[in-house]
Amino acid sequence: MNALTAVAQAVQTLAPWQQYICVACGLIYNEAEGDPDSSLPAGTRFSDIPEDWACPLCGVTKSDFEIYEPPSLETLRANAKNCNPVALPGQRHRPGVVIVGAGRAGWQLAENLRAADATLPITLVTVCAGDVYDKPLLSVAMARQLPCEKLVRETGVDAARRLNLRLLAHTHAISISADSKQLRTTRGTLRYDQLVLAHGAQAALPAPLPASLCWRINHLGAYLQLRAALGQVDESGAKDVMIVGAGLIGSELANDLALGGHRITLLDVQAEPLARWQAEQAGQQVLQAWKDLPIRFVGGVKVAKVEKIDERIRVSTECGQQFEADQVIAATGLTPPSRLAQSAALAWQNGIAVEAQTLRTSNPDIYALGDCITVDGNASRFIEPISRQAKTIAASLTGCDAIPYEQRQIVVRVKTTSMPLSLH
Amino acid sequence: MNPADLPRECVLATPPAADALLAAVRTIAQGPLRQQVDAIDRQGHYPKAILQQLAAAGGMSAHLNAPHGSGDFFLAIQAMAEAAKVCGATGFMMWCQAVCGLYLQQSGNPALMGNVLTRHVAGLGMGGTALSNPMKSYAQIESLLLKATKVDGGYMVNGTLPWISNLQADHYCGAIAALPESNAELMFLLRCDAPGMELVECPTFSAMEGTGTYALRLKDYFVGQDDIMADPAKSLIAHIRAAFVMLQCGIAVGIIQGAIESMWAVESQLGHVNQYLEDRPDTLQAELNALVARVQKMAQTPFDTSTEFFIDVLDARAHGAELCLRATQSALMHQGARGYLMSSDVQRRVREAHFVAIVTPAIKHLRKEIARLSAEEMPA
Repeated sequence: MNALTAVAQAVQTLAPWQQYICVACGLIYNEAEGDPDSSLPAGTRFSDIPEDWACPLCGVTKSDFEIYEPPSLETLRANAKNCNPVALPGQRHRPGVVIVGAGRAGWQLAENLRAADATLPITLVTVCAGDVYDKPLLSVAMARQLPCEKLVRETGVDAARRLNLRLLAHTHAISISADSKQLRTTRGTLRYDQLVLAHGAQAALPAPLPASLCWRINHLGAYLQLRAALGQVDESGAKDVMIVGAGLIGSELANDLALGGHRITLLDVQAEPLARWQAEQAGQQVLQAWKDLPIRFVGGVKVAKVEKIDERIRVSTECGQQFEADQVIAATGLTPPSRLAQSAALAWQNGIAVEAQTLRTSNPDIYALGDCITVDGNASRFIEPISRQAKTIAASLTGCDAIPYEQRQIVVRVKTTSMPLSLH
Repeated sequence: MNPADLPRECVLATPPAADALLAAVRTIAQGPLRQQVDAIDRQGHYPKAILQQLAAAGGMSAHLNAPHGSGDFFLAIQAMAEAAKVCGATGFMMWCQAVCGLYLQQSGNPALMGNVLTRHVAGLGMGGTALSNPMKSYAQIESLLLKATKVDGGYMVNGTLPWISNLQADHYCGAIAALPESNAELMFLLRCDAPGMELVECPTFSAMEGTGTYALRLKDYFVGQDDIMADPAKSLIAHIRAAFVMLQCGIAVGIIQGAIESMWAVESQLGHVNQYLEDRPDTLQAELNALVARVQKMAQTPFDTSTEFFIDVLDARAHGAELCLRATQSALMHQGARGYLMSSDVQRRVREAHFVAIVTPAIKHLRKEIARLSAEEMPA
């Protein structure tokens, strides 16, 4: 052995261990570890491996290996960003627009979107069956002698077919993964390009009113259940119905259920009904309209306790009065649910805060309309603005010319049938 | 026996700091656990020594209150994830041990909170949880399988439970039996070596064979006062149910992270073809990071008993299971043929992900329970 070879050997011994990769299967030969199963002890240099050695995984020979340098994760990340994938998720299967809520707001938006774009994928997620109905009719159904089955204008399934959209009925929307643009629901997770929240508001039940004893008539399903519980007056007789809250909904329901033959007691913390429109003497007018109806209004009282006594329900007030009823309805105002908005960290101001002209939330891919939104902290829970809101959002989502939403003064028509009132 | 009588090395003077704890768990996971993972997965090897090392490192007690832990649920989840990244079965058994410790500590029974708990935390006593059936019972998915009747000095329990994990002949688990006479439930420590208790071998599973999983057959099994965790059980269950489910997120987080790393491992050779796949490692990592941040926030209030919070926890657990399925599937697509080898951790993780998706609460159970809890209550 000459001196040169000895030096070369010493250099090789001291050199760092190398790794070699099988170009066929990706197995990595690490000199430090060797391949003990093929009698190559740890520390066997790649150059010292006999030529008849085979890749232990796929069987190709030594010549199919090349030197391998493990890359840094940062380099890989940077390279992965630079390449443009041919098939991005969503190109072949475009998620489109996902709408949460199948009340008037949800369906109006779906109608407008479909009118503007025949191919846009639309998914509608709703807790109920998704049937299309006019909510204001729930306040006059008895007076107009509308049978319950006539309240549904079109079934959800039929409307979905007509509009060529996917309806996920009886499905709860649970949370939004805003970064990855996914809506999590009880029937699976939906991707979206744009999400529109049209889930409305729910009854705000004061603490003394337990949900298990008090109806909240905020959608068709609850209304139909109440009607079933009340039964037909000509079959099971008139019922005593207590309505807590004499605002618009409470007063209209009192009026309609009284016309349907039931005996109504209407309570409110204010001295008269429709106290919000006191300046227009709405309360006096409505009491006048009710003078021949079985409606007893008790003002200036606050409910302290609601309890079930045998088959009846007893309502006690803070001032010590007691009432008994067959059914109790709470009409004590609405509050939008905050779960979805919170999960996406949407700006919130008494409701989902939206930009006044675009109805866009604080997340650029999420819009909202109807009872769940507020503009500058103010909610407007009436029917009229909804169709204009739907037009604004649909124009934006389908790339049409912008239709800025305008806030207008609302004229409220109180559907107290014997003497309808218009209030400003 | 009093904790002071235990060998000194069994009693941690103070729980280790978070960084030290995670480093110790990582060393065990990347070292001896990595060596045994195939035997655990396919040959039914129960890694008792490793679990005891993990216990000694504080890896299954960080969530417990002092002196046994620091009440840090997120740290417990992170520790579980470190192990599950290497071996899903071990991550799962860490969860079993962790929730069993939670039952012992929250039981309020001095007979369980002293020596039994101290040995448990040290890994000298080990156990699992037989609450799969009761959890489904509370979610109105199935009825209770164990029945207890009051006898002199305690209760007599009968019935059979399928598939309880992290058990050996000298182990134990938290269990719940119906008390038909009082329409309530009894929660108790079920000891595998007590009379009236038989461990029955389970058929072969598609993965995670070494989890010490048995069916339990109870014939006139006696529960004395010292082994009662809660009587009646309802309020304790309400107190710990969110923590029970939340802790499971650690298994999913580890498996997902392992899958993502196996995608990066082939990126330099296969990136040119892998770019055509859905669910690339960077997008999965972003989604995982968002989920982990969500879990971290929840872990600050593990004993929040509100329905809204529980729905949040169930949803995060479901997200973990769904992401497990997607990430492990995608890792197999990324690795291609080499990931399809039986010796590959990539295909093993696909099977581990199936476990996360079907173990109680399975994805379908989670969705049904979320729907039930979200339903608006109306008068009957």
